[in-house]
Amino acid sequence: MRHLRWLVVPLLVIPLGWLLFSGFGRDPREIASPLIDRPAPEWTLTTLDGETLSSSDLAGRPYVVNFWASWCGPCVDEHAVLSATHDAYGDEIAMVGVLYQDLPADAQAFLARYGQTGYRHVIDPDGRLAIDFGVTGPPETYFIDADGILRAKQFGPLTESSMDQKLASILPAVGALDR
Amino acid sequence: MRGLLPSIALGALMALLALAVVFWLGTDADASPAERAERLGAQLRCPDCQGLSIADSPTRSAQEIRRQVSELIADGASDEEIRAHFVARYGEWILLAPSSPAWWVLPFAVVLLAAAALVAWIVRRSGGATAASPPALSADERRRLHEEAEALDA
Repeated sequence: MRHLRWLVVPLLVIPLGWLLFSGFGRDPREIASPLIDRPAPEWTLTTLDGETLSSSDLAGRPYVVNFWASWCGPCVDEHAVLSATHDAYGDEIAMVGVLYQDLPADAQAFLARYGQTGYRHVIDPDGRLAIDFGVTGPPETYFIDADGILRAKQFGPLTESSMDQKLASILPAVGALDR
Repeated sequence: MRGLLPSIALGALMALLALAVVFWLGTDADASPAERAERLGAQLRCPDCQGLSIADSPTRSAQEIRRQVSELIADGASDEEIRAHFVARYGEWILLAPSSPAWWVLPFAVVLLAAAALVAWIVRRSGGATAASPPALSADERRRLHEEAEALDA
């Protein structure tokens, strides 16, 4: 019994310490989406230009849904990554921005200041689409494949490497190898 | 130490009884739609707050979820269906309380188990100490100690 006491440290204290320590380093809002590998939510919304855009307009090719806001600091950081991705892939991937609790005029000012994206942005007036996707705060980005199945979620700003990694989950295997 | 065991057991029993009462109170079916909306609102986490329910939060997400809860109630959805509607979007994270009662009992069980192990360990240790009390002094040692004590007194 006495020598078993030494097992307490490796068997109990170290795992418990690790559990607590890793818990402190985690953002409690960074949750695994239950939508992964399930059909993505469908929507029909109005773009900043006043046109109607629907998820069915994007269907048939992989698409990226980026929730952002003009008041969101990290959204500035990922803005260049999103624009560069759209420039690089062109029509191969559809992209759409969704305004998260933001005024259209403020969003227009953001785009005028940091650069137009080349893809469209829709207004989500009561935040319904954000709730359907399970968004907890911008920026959050969802990656949907050509069959309309949600394959990946990015919590927080995208970097070049995280963008490449998540895009690989929705691009056809051959296309991913080409690049 | 053994005297503590009944009070620990009593405490655990009272805690479990209190939990049972909470569950019993929380599942009455005759509530009005507004009461149901309020109760469900207190159970759902506001997505863009720090640890608040949607009932306690003024954010637009919270407002929209409250609106959807009322809408789902009006459509005849059960409490369970409404919770499932939001769990399908956010996962179990959206529920402020875990969905299975087992998750409530688990921490209590762990604490009780640990307390029992501690009590068993203390009881065993104190019992062991009396068994291993120092051996009685021999007559020679007793005499020598007596002499040394007298020498110190002198």
